[in-house]
Amino acid sequence: MTGKDGTPQAATAEEGEVFDPRDAAALFEETTRQARSRFDLMPPILTLAAAVTVLVAYGAVWLSVRDQHPYSGPTGTALAVLYGVLAVWIVFVATILHRSLSGRSSRQRRLEAVVFGAIWISIYVFQGALYHVVPSQAVAFGVYPAVGPLIIGGAAAAGYEAAREKPAHASFAVATVVLGAFAAFAGPADVWGVVAIGGCALLLVGTAALLWERRVWHHG
Amino acid sequence: MASRMRVEELDPLIHVPARLRIVATLAALPEGDTLSFTRLQGMIGLTPGNLITHLRKLEEAGYIATEKTGNGAASLTTARLTHRGRTALEGYTAALRQLIEGL
Repeated sequence: MTGKDGTPQAATAEEGEVFDPRDAAALFEETTRQARSRFDLMPPILTLAAAVTVLVAYGAVWLSVRDQHPYSGPTGTALAVLYGVLAVWIVFVATILHRSLSGRSSRQRRLEAVVFGAIWISIYVFQGALYHVVPSQAVAFGVYPAVGPLIIGGAAAAGYEAAREKPAHASFAVATVVLGAFAAFAGPADVWGVVAIGGCALLLVGTAALLWERRVWHHG
Repeated sequence: MASRMRVEELDPLIHVPARLRIVATLAALPEGDTLSFTRLQGMIGLTPGNLITHLRKLEEAGYIATEKTGNGAASLTTARLTHRGRTALEGYTAALRQLIEGL
């Protein structure tokens, strides 16, 4: 039922002609599978790439700060790796989103993007405020940037997913918050290592869950 | 004869290959999301004329809603599955499943 271009070929039946129910069922399943795949906003490859990104970016910072006493912050090389890996990650996400969202429009998605964008900006505005009030490298450039985005972003995502009645996605977001909260106990240097390993492991579990979810889509 | 009658009970507006693909494609979007005519055409592989004809029939039945914005070369036509269309598709697939089990 699949044509040369990958789109399902309709059975030859047209208006008023016999369209076998088994052909109809096969056509419906194939069309649904392909449409879901093309509209997928979070393919497993995205979370797998995120796992690698977290491991490399946070790991690079941890390697540069692990022997610092007192904590003075990541080196220029570590920051270059962190921002370089993040830049590659952003380009990758943008490519996936462009592929999925091309031709699509939704007032709801636009509102969600604005809300999450505002939350994300506030995370880093708060970092500036924190350093202004408590000029501590260990807090403002150690613990907070490592776990702040996980706790605040994760909490927002958990609420969003709970409202959408997506318990698996909400659980993943809550696990992110929990990881951030406990990782903070490791201190300004080792928090980066804990988040690198914990975040990577969590994203690998998330990738496995997404693969399972898609398997159910395709065979369920 | 009984089987034939049951086939005829399937929603005739959806039980046509091209329209089934249109409805199935739009149903894969979250409720309320719209899809441009151009992308829908690319995914379904119909000619513009054929696609317009099928979209019109589905719109007349209230299964989809279309919207045109802009003018001339900048115009954009979008389509979305309505709540009624989603319900009709659920009824169609349930009937289809029953029918196949009986074959």
